Amino acid sequence: MINFQFLRTSIVKTALSLVAKDPKATFIAGGTNLVDLMKRGVTAPEKLIDINQLPLKQIELKNNILHIGAMVSNSALAENAIVKEKFPLLMLALQSGASAQLRNVATVGGNMMQRTRCGYFYDTTMPCNKRQPGSGCGAIGGYNRMHAIFGTSESCIAVHPSDMCVGLVALDAQVVIAGAKGERKINFIDFHRLAGTTPEKDNNIQKGELIVRLEIPVNNLNKNFHYQKVRDRSSYAFALISVAAALELKDDVISTVRLAMGGVAHKPWRLVAAENFLKGKAATLANFEAAAKIAMEGAKAFGENDFKLKMAPNTIIEALTVAKAKA
Amino acid sequence: MSEIDNNQSGDTRRDFLKKTSLFTALSLTPLTVLKAADNKVDERFAELFEKIPLNLKVNNKAYSLKVEPRVTLLDLLREELDLTGTKKGCDHGQCGACTVHVDGARVNSCLSLAVMNEGKSVTTIEGLAKGEELHPMQAAFIKHDGFQCGYCTPGQIMSAVACVREGHANSKEEIREYMSGNICRCGAYPNIVDAIQEVKEKGTAI
Amino acid sequence: MDFFVDENDRVDGIEKVTGKAKYFAEFKLPGLTYGVLVPSTITKGKITAIDIKAAKNAPGVLDVLSHLNKPSAAGYEAGGGSPMKIFYTDEVFFNGQPVALVVADTFERATYAATLVKVSYEKAAFNTDFKKSIADASVAKKQGQPPYVRGVADAYKTAEVKVEQTYEMPVETHNPMELHGIIADWRTNDQVTVYAKTQGVKAAQATIANVFKIPQENIQVKSEFVGGGFGMALRTWPLEIATIMASKQVKRPVKLVITRDQMFTMVGNRPAAYQKIGLGATKDGKITGITHTAFGQTSTYENFTEGVVTMSKFMYASENVNTNYYVVPLDMSVPIWMRGPGEATGAFALESAIDEMAHALDMDPLEFRIKNDPETDPMKNIPFSSKNIKEAYKLGAEKIGWNNRKNKPGSITEGPWKIGYGVSIGVFNASRGRATVKGILNANGSLILQSATSDIGPGTGTGMVLIASRLMNIPVEKITFELGDSSLPPAPSQGGSTTLSTVGTAVNDVCVSLKATIAELAANANMSTTSNFVEVLKKNNLPMIEVTKQSQANQQGKEYSMYSFSIHFVQVKVHNLTGVVKVSKIVSVGDSGKIISPKTARSQMVGGAVGGIGMALTEEALLDNRYGKYVNNNFADYHVPVHADVPEIDVIFIDKPDYIVNPMGAKGMGEIALIGFAGAVANAVFNATGKRIRSLPITPDKVLEG
Repeated sequence: MINFQFLRTSIVKTALSLVAKDPKATFIAGGTNLVDLMKRGVTAPEKLIDINQLPLKQIELKNNILHIGAMVSNSALAENAIVKEKFPLLMLALQSGASAQLRNVATVGGNMMQRTRCGYFYDTTMPCNKRQPGSGCGAIGGYNRMHAIFGTSESCIAVHPSDMCVGLVALDAQVVIAGAKGERKINFIDFHRLAGTTPEKDNNIQKGELIVRLEIPVNNLNKNFHYQKVRDRSSYAFALISVAAALELKDDVISTVRLAMGGVAHKPWRLVAAENFLKGKAATLANFEAAAKIAMEGAKAFGENDFKLKMAPNTIIEALTVAKAKA
Repeated sequence: MSEIDNNQSGDTRRDFLKKTSLFTALSLTPLTVLKAADNKVDERFAELFEKIPLNLKVNNKAYSLKVEPRVTLLDLLREELDLTGTKKGCDHGQCGACTVHVDGARVNSCLSLAVMNEGKSVTTIEGLAKGEELHPMQAAFIKHDGFQCGYCTPGQIMSAVACVREGHANSKEEIREYMSGNICRCGAYPNIVDAIQEVKEKGTAI
Repeated sequence: MDFFVDENDRVDGIEKVTGKAKYFAEFKLPGLTYGVLVPSTITKGKITAIDIKAAKNAPGVLDVLSHLNKPSAAGYEAGGGSPMKIFYTDEVFFNGQPVALVVADTFERATYAATLVKVSYEKAAFNTDFKKSIADASVAKKQGQPPYVRGVADAYKTAEVKVEQTYEMPVETHNPMELHGIIADWRTNDQVTVYAKTQGVKAAQATIANVFKIPQENIQVKSEFVGGGFGMALRTWPLEIATIMASKQVKRPVKLVITRDQMFTMVGNRPAAYQKIGLGATKDGKITGITHTAFGQTSTYENFTEGVVTMSKFMYASENVNTNYYVVPLDMSVPIWMRGPGEATGAFALESAIDEMAHALDMDPLEFRIKNDPETDPMKNIPFSSKNIKEAYKLGAEKIGWNNRKNKPGSITEGPWKIGYGVSIGVFNASRGRATVKGILNANGSLILQSATSDIGPGTGTGMVLIASRLMNIPVEKITFELGDSSLPPAPSQGGSTTLSTVGTAVNDVCVSLKATIAELAANANMSTTSNFVEVLKKNNLPMIEVTKQSQANQQGKEYSMYSFSIHFVQVKVHNLTGVVKVSKIVSVGDSGKIISPKTARSQMVGGAVGGIGMALTEEALLDNRYGKYVNNNFADYHVPVHADVPEIDVIFIDKPDYIVNPMGAKGMGEIALIGFAGAVANAVFNATGKRIRSLPITPDKVLEG
């Protein structure tokens, strides 16, 4: 690791300008992903702007919208009373990610900004279009067991590794981003990108911008919900497949439904078609199965991850079944 | 009051050295120093600029240090402060051997830059016992044989103490989930869980 | 008075829970410098140039070592290419081979400078594809063990009922929690002290002496606390030699701690294996033929073989047995024994096949095993020194609730989960070697025992102190056992479950001798022969007495077959929709003679079961054969079990002494704790689902697709 420069500020505006004016500068929040990437030489910023002192650690309910500061830690968010009561799906997603130690440090904004866990991305001696555009994709034709089945491109089949983001995309969150020109707001579903021909871009944030807050509208999805994560060991592992499912049921008929999947795409994958199918239908196994089938339309596997074509719909069915069964 | 809270300059060392006004202030010959910086030879000089101040408490002892920003909290503890009880197992936040408490919260010290801990209070395994009197978790680990080689043990114990304090030790299942960030290759897991459960059930404030 | 109590704690527990225990990297020497390795980025070929200019100019760098400045090692000049000579030639044998070592004044500076070393290569074609190579006649195979035939070869083919299957295992890595490395410190031009991570301080000393051609007594190897080994620290690796060279070159102590990804390529692994088993039986369940053919992976530059097919020769009463074992040299780093070594690999295949046969016969697999359990060793035609596995089967079956098991797979469900039970046996040689122990009995009431053995975790000191305590009637807190230093009396490396038996016998002999001396001294002083030794020493005006004893290897191998046995019972839950397998209950029964230290012995069995869960369900080092490189060389992607994977584990010991093996009646258990476990899990998964997974690890995808 080069001996980068390190600056600390407690003023958002200062942080923004420090990064905006310097191409080699970047923000550091919890550091749980960035420091790892720097140790492996995947990224080598010459200047770090420590944003841990920024006043972005509030969790508040305002006008039926939950405001979450970007610097709130994953554990603080999971333990928050409002989140537990009104957004338990988010709580489950958060608890499924990483370890207690990492969640204590990892921030909401940092979680959204984390890079893929693709082994070819992490190994600087291997080809990877995301790390080094134009060098090729090691995962296509290589070990791609953990890789994407939706929205892939010829240049990249990596997945976004977050659990939290799968919960957030299901909850119709919005992202508030600050930049030189002030704040802008985008839907969470539009925050992350598909790889396309520019896999080096994970998301739609611009250089010099900073996530300052998330906003989630209150809903009635806090009774019948589930986050089902399938992984190679029981904890502390990235998802093979994960599904966030939430239902609002009226006499076993689905009035509202949210479904999102992790471990399948370059971004948290909202299952809109499956949701549309389920809306207004009875919460039966047959309908869950039909929805899962719809969700899988357009899926494409790459050999090692062929199993996801079966595991993904199965996991959707399981998540919906458990969500429904919750009293 | 500066907008930048630590006193490192916003420029690279070379850029910094190029600022003649500062050289004047430092009464140094610009050309010589600049050449030294270009050739990366004058380390004694470089230290002035590459190390930044860090004030933190470790096990209730206050330290005023100067460290390179790239030094992790783990390496600071082990290599500079000789607190080798905190272990390096993977250096990438994937094993938990380096777990310490920072302001009471358990964290992986390998992924924390030391300079990010300015003004914080760090507790390591060396700070857990009260003199000769073992912390109840340490005693329980011995009683239940919660280790074999002992290398993951300090991390397991620091994590275990936090697990109980956080209120995540209410059942074996919960303990297992909330301790899963601490890998033990010898496989002492069931014994560790027994130790934690016993400490929790005794209800002593830890 | 019996000071030997069941629940004795580990003698080094306080050091381990307080962080005071010092592992190799934790010795702070004056002027300490830091080494960081530069690994090759190609898999095979030659180094054409190494540009060290930038690295050498980097802040704090003292030197950069490589074959170009060939550091001094007199031993390397004497012929032979194996074991690998570090920094000796321009040849690259595997991806990740150390090709340079940077030494700097801080860890950070050395790490950064290592990235500045620019190595140029001439690439050569390579082969790392194990599975493809087995069928590929152009890849030369080597005989790993002489072929073995008893009775008629391939007799299973004509049996009434036959099973013929293939079983696969991936590369596994030891990955102890402590990263490997060494601190080397030359005291003079021909005297060096190393702080090592080794399972054998004497072996390390001999290796270093051989490489540098200096007398063994000039080399001190210290390794008191070892953060796990599992076999990988049974040899001194090239990277350690490189560090010793570096220290000589820069004339300062050099510390090298390798990275976790380097742990996958620089310090060995459990080789991948491909095994074919043919089993024949009569319709009423008597085995008539066993054929076991195994292929293991090795490297092109050094050979490695292990006992993959050993167990098939004697575990079951079959008149006809034939085995063969080949190794396939690949352009990969050389493997090394990993806990349970080849026997664990072989047991997975054999014990899966046994279960398949029981199913084919519609027999309870436990009953089938008992029916074919030999009374005497069918390979050597001699009795077992002791073997209580029928009792072990019975106790384990009761504890796990074997009678809840249904012979028909897929019979038990619990919501979305299918429940199954499996059993498997483990066996490992209960051998005993030669060791020397010194005992110093002090008039202050203390006993100091010394031997250059190791403790990688099982609790060597604890076991030895308990043996001495029981024999000498001295409380454990008055006994110290010193180990992990090459200047102590010689002992073999800690491996193959031999330490308790080998070093314990020498401790036993020392205690017997001390007691005799005390009795003699008592008689001389007209005291009762049962007098307390403190009184006897005082009366004789002796501050202490000292005895050194060398115990010999067991001489009764021709008359008795000596083994430790284990039976593993597991219950698994398999999720219908996701394919996730959870081990929900474990009962491991150890038949390993008298249990000396119940607490640590239980921990060892528990640890073996946890390792077994890893082998069965999660562990697999994935190599991309296009690059010859591992793609999951870290703890996030190479999955060793975590807390949440491990249920409560019941351990039962038969606890019957076997005095043929040694005077304590105790046999080793480090290997049997693991051997067979993966088979029990695979068998339980079959019982739960009807799906027979013959390729480890049993990941959710395999269950879904199976």
